[in-house]
Amino acid sequence: MDWSVHFPKFIPPPSSAITTDSASATATRRVEFADIGCGFGGLLTALAPQFPDTLMLGMEIRMSVTAYVDARIKALRQIQGLLPSVDGGEMSQVVREAVKEAAGAEGEDPLPAEAGVSAEDVAEDRREEAENRRATREKVPGEFQNVSVIRANAMKHLPNFFEKGQLTKIFFLFPDPHFKRSKHKARIITTTLLAEYAYVLRPGGILYTVTDVKDLHDWMMHHLSLHPSFEYIPTETLLDAGDPVLKSAMTSTEEGMKVERNKGSKWAGCFRRKEDPPMQESVLEAGVKKTRVVRRA
Amino acid sequence: MKHPFQIIVADTTGRYLFTTVKNVLLVIDLTSGKLVGQWKDELDNSDFLKKKYEEKFDKENDPKRQKSESGQAKVPKIPTPGPGAPPIYNYIRALRLSSDEKYLFATTDSDKAVVIFTIDHSKDNCLELKKRQPFSKRPCALSVDEDRLVVADKFGDVYSIAIEDDQVVNEKELTPILGHVSMLSDVAIVSNDKKKFIITGDRDEHIRISNYPKSFVIKNFLFGHHEFVSCLHVPNFDQSLLISGGGDDYLCLWRWYEGQLVAKIELRELIAPFLTDSHLPPERFLTETSPKEISVARILTFTNKKTGLNILVVLCEQTKAVLLFEIDAKLSVRHLQTISYEDNVLDMCYIEATNTLISAHDSDKNQLFQQQKFDEETNNFTPTTETMDAVAELNPIDVNSRNDFLPLYYINTLRKRSEH
Ligand SMILES: C[S@@+](CC[C@H](N)C(=O)[O-])C[C@H]1O[C@@H](n2cnc3c(N)ncnc32)[C@H](O)[C@@H]1O
Repeated sequence: MDWSVHFPKFIPPPSSAITTDSASATATRRVEFADIGCGFGGLLTALAPQFPDTLMLGMEIRMSVTAYVDARIKALRQIQGLLPSVDGGEMSQVVREAVKEAAGAEGEDPLPAEAGVSAEDVAEDRREEAENRRATREKVPGEFQNVSVIRANAMKHLPNFFEKGQLTKIFFLFPDPHFKRSKHKARIITTTLLAEYAYVLRPGGILYTVTDVKDLHDWMMHHLSLHPSFEYIPTETLLDAGDPVLKSAMTSTEEGMKVERNKGSKWAGCFRRKEDPPMQESVLEAGVKKTRVVRRA
Repeated sequence: MKHPFQIIVADTTGRYLFTTVKNVLLVIDLTSGKLVGQWKDELDNSDFLKKKYEEKFDKENDPKRQKSESGQAKVPKIPTPGPGAPPIYNYIRALRLSSDEKYLFATTDSDKAVVIFTIDHSKDNCLELKKRQPFSKRPCALSVDEDRLVVADKFGDVYSIAIEDDQVVNEKELTPILGHVSMLSDVAIVSNDKKKFIITGDRDEHIRISNYPKSFVIKNFLFGHHEFVSCLHVPNFDQSLLISGGGDDYLCLWRWYEGQLVAKIELRELIAPFLTDSHLPPERFLTETSPKEISVARILTFTNKKTGLNILVVLCEQTKAVLLFEIDAKLSVRHLQTISYEDNVLDMCYIEATNTLISAHDSDKNQLFQQQKFDEETNNFTPTTETMDAVAELNPIDVNSRNDFLPLYYINTLRKRSEH
C-alpha cells in the first residue's frame, strides 16, 4: 500500500531517495482516524482542520461516491494551496480568480446518475459545500493534506489497510440500516466484525457510532456492549468533556445534516477499546450459550 | 464401476485407513485387507427438507403467532425440488481423527452436521456413532483441541463443541467463537510457548490468527495470498511454521507467530505439464489469455527418519501428480521429485510408520488406491510392487458411469470471478 499517493505532504513516495531525518520521521506517520462508509466525506472535511497533524481516511464502497470525495478533497487542497498564508496580506486578483475557478470545480458534480445518489442528495450536498466555503476564503490548519479516501469494502478488507492497533478513532456514522432480519448479518456492526475493528483500534482508542434508526442503535449498542474488547463511554461524559469529535460525528456528515434539517432524532454510542486480556491456559467456555439441550442422536 | 474414494486418512500406526466414498465412511485394516468399520449417512435431503418444513409448520401453529395472525393455521406444503433445481449432493467434506485416535470426526451435507464416532477395534464395526451435531450453516473444516472439536462453516463462523458430551445442542443456541465475512476453508489450532491460537483461512485471501480460546482477540493476519486459501498445514516437525496454499501459483511458508512470510514455494512450472483444459476457467470467464488455474488440494509434511530432512508433499486439484520438496534447516525449499500417476489424485495421506504414501484416484479401471514407498537414502518415492486393488474392492458404491459420480473437483469453485 503506497500511502504517499494519499498524503503526499506527509509521506514521501517509496522510491524517493530523500533520506534526511525529517523525511524518515514523517514516513512513519500512519492513518489514525478511519471513517467507515464515509459517504460524501463531511466528517473528514470537518475534522481535518481540527487535527491538522493527524492522518484520516474515509472508506467507501461505492465507486462514484469515492470518486466524488476524492475530487472534493483534491479541490480543497488546491484552493488552500492558492490562498495566501494567514499573514500574507491581500489576495492578488490573479489568485482570487484562480480560487474562484477551483471552487467552481469543487462544486461541480462528478457523480454520474446512479441508483442511491438522488438529485436531492446532490443538491443538499451543494448546500453543505456552501457552508464549507470558509475553506475557500482563508487558510485552514493542515490545508486538507491530512485527509483522503479509499474505495474498499470495509467489512472485508479493513486489515489489509491498517495494522494492529494503528487507529485511535474509528467512525460508523449513519450506517445502512438493513432492516430485514435476514439482512442483519450484512450490518456493519456484528460480533464477528467487532473483532476486526478491535484489531485495528488501539487500546484506549474510541469507536463512534451515530444513527437516526433506533432499531439499529439498539442493535449496535447490544453487540458492542456484549463484546469483551469494548467498554461503553456514556455519551454525556464525552460531551461534557467537550469531545470535539463526537459533536462533529453527530452533525457534520451529510446524513447527519439531513437528519438535522428534518428534525429527526439521533443516537450516539461510543466505546473505548479495552486492553486485550492476558493469554493463559483457561477452560473454554465458548460454544454453548444457553443450556437448553435437545436430544437427537 | 466403482465410485472413487474421496478422502483418506490413516492412523499413526499405519494399520487403519479411514476413507469416504459418497455418503459412506469406511475403515480398512491394511494388515488384513479387511473392512473393519462402516457408516452410511442414511439421511437424505428430502428428510432434511421435511424436517425444516415441519419446524416451520410448528412455528406457524404456535398459539402466540396465531393470535396475531388471521387465525387459520396454514398447512405448509413440503416442496419437492423441481426438474431445474440444482442437485444437492451428500458430501462428506472433512474427515479427521482426534489426537488420541479414539474418535473420528466427519461432516455431512444432508443436515449440515458434524458426526462424531468412537473407534473401538474390538467391535465388529469399529465405528460407533456417538453424536450427530447439526449446525445452521454447512461445516467445511475441522480441527481438534484436546477435548473440543473446532468446526468452521460456510458462513465464515467457527464453533467449538465438546467431544465427550453426547448431548446434541440445538444449533440455534450455538454461538460462534469467531467469524470471517467469507466462507472458511480451513482451520487449525496451534500453540506457541504454551499459549494457544486458532488459524483460519477463507475464500478471500485472508489467513487470520486469533487467540484461543478467547478468539475475539485477533493476533494478526498473514498477507501473502491473492486468491482463496484452501489448505493450512502446520508441520509436526516444527509447529512454529505454517504452510498455506489455495488458488495461487505458489504456497506460502510462514513463521505464523511472528507473522513473517519466510518463502514462497512456486508450483506453476512444476505442475504445468499436468494441467489440462479442465483447469481453464468456466467458459463465460474464459479469455484468450486465461491461464490454467492451480488449486491446492492437500499439503503434507514428514521427516526422513534417517537423515532428519523435512519433506513437503503437495497435491494440486485434478492432476495426475504429487510434488515433493525438501525444507532444509535454513527453511529454503527445493524440489525433489514429481510423482506421476496414471489417474488424477483425489487425496493422499502419508504413513510415517511404514514410509508409505497412499493416494486415492479417479480411475476408470478400479485402481482406486496407489501406494508409494519413501526411500530414506535417495529421498524419493517409488511405487510398491503389491497393488491395493483388493482393498479398493471393499468400496461398496457401484455406479454405472462417471455421470453417477459426485463432483470430485470443487476446490477451484472457491475462486472468485466477478471482480476480475
Ligand atoms: C447511509 S450512508 C452514510 C454516509 C456517511 N457516513 C454520512 O453519515 O453521511 C452509508 C454509507 O456506507 C457505505 N457503505 C456501506 N457498506 C460499506 C462497506 N462494507 N464498506 C464501505 N462502505 C460501505 C455506503 O455506500 C454509504 O455511502
